[in-house]
Amino acid sequence: MIPLYQPGTSYLHRLPVGAKFLGIFLAALIASIFRENLAVLLGIWALTLTGFLLSGIGLRGLLAQLWRLKWLALVLTIPQLIFLTPAETGFNVARVLAVVLMAALFTLTTATSDILSSFERLLRPVDPLLLRLGLSAERISLALSLTIRSVPLILSFYADIREAQRARGMRPTPRATVLPLLVMSLRHAEETAEALAARGVR
Amino acid sequence: MAMFAALVAVLGQLPAIPLAGGVPITLQTLGVMLAGAVLGPWRGAGAIVLLHVLVAAGLPLLAHGSGGLGAFAGPSAGFALGWIPGAFLVGLITQASWPLRVWRTILGTVLGGIVVVYACGLPVMAFQMGLSLEQAALINLAFLPGDAIKAAIAVTLTHSLARAYPAPFTHARRRRR
Repeated sequence: MIPLYQPGTSYLHRLPVGAKFLGIFLAALIASIFRENLAVLLGIWALTLTGFLLSGIGLRGLLAQLWRLKWLALVLTIPQLIFLTPAETGFNVARVLAVVLMAALFTLTTATSDILSSFERLLRPVDPLLLRLGLSAERISLALSLTIRSVPLILSFYADIREAQRARGMRPTPRATVLPLLVMSLRHAEETAEALAARGVR
Repeated sequence: MAMFAALVAVLGQLPAIPLAGGVPITLQTLGVMLAGAVLGPWRGAGAIVLLHVLVAAGLPLLAHGSGGLGAFAGPSAGFALGWIPGAFLVGLITQASWPLRVWRTILGTVLGGIVVVYACGLPVMAFQMGLSLEQAALINLAFLPGDAIKAAIAVTLTHSLARAYPAPFTHARRRRR
């Protein structure tokens, strides 16, 4: 599993995670509130473009992102053309794409581990509150890393199941695939829980 | 919980089933229903929260390898966020007693897995796209058959699992009646 992050050393890459997130959140909020305002729309697009150029991802990266969004753009455009005028449709699609691209810029320029560690730091002050719910910042970050670790494991379970099915000439119906996947995953979760308990983690 | 979050992520990556209307559906929302039905309300919703934190942190765990903060900025953000209360309600209704009752599982997956998710998703979509609620609902009618099929699969899977491997159904078994 490859994170969407693209390493780099630009100004955007070095910006603190919290500041970057807040900036993008505010820009998205402004774009959503002043929705019929051409100046705001152009400003957001200009901001997004400079962001992509500044981060070293460049126009080619921007186009690659846009290509990823092709289905979103299609799903956005067609129903709107039925219900709204072409001008309104253009406005809405441009706005939504700009906001999504800006959010993608955050993802592209921020390492997953940095986001997760600042998330953990954000949880620290509310730790007493979490304890009352039977949680703690440590347990949450343990669960997060276990999740990351489990994705390739479950994919390998899936490969095993498909192989067994193919050997028996079975058709892969959702039922015949997901049930063994569930049992294998849950059993593995139980084993992991036992292993953690044996090491004094509860 | 962590395992189930990963499972929901994997279900989003498996080859989608092309539906009669040509609309491809993924099994990701099946995973959401199963998370609630199997893990119960608290841990089910917790698994979805874990998944969302990792998606927001930039891992491509949503359907077809999409992810990152952009997933929460687009018009379908409300649906993804609706999975959290959705999975909670599925768990609450499904695991109200042990052994599980089929009618309760059906009610839970339909109310939590479909009604709650749409109730969270439609207003966000309508707002983002500048449509009225009715128009947004009309568009999403295309996904309703797929979700109904997934709810049906979730019900049969939950009951098969409860018979084959009842260990994870702790919420229901604690309130044995």
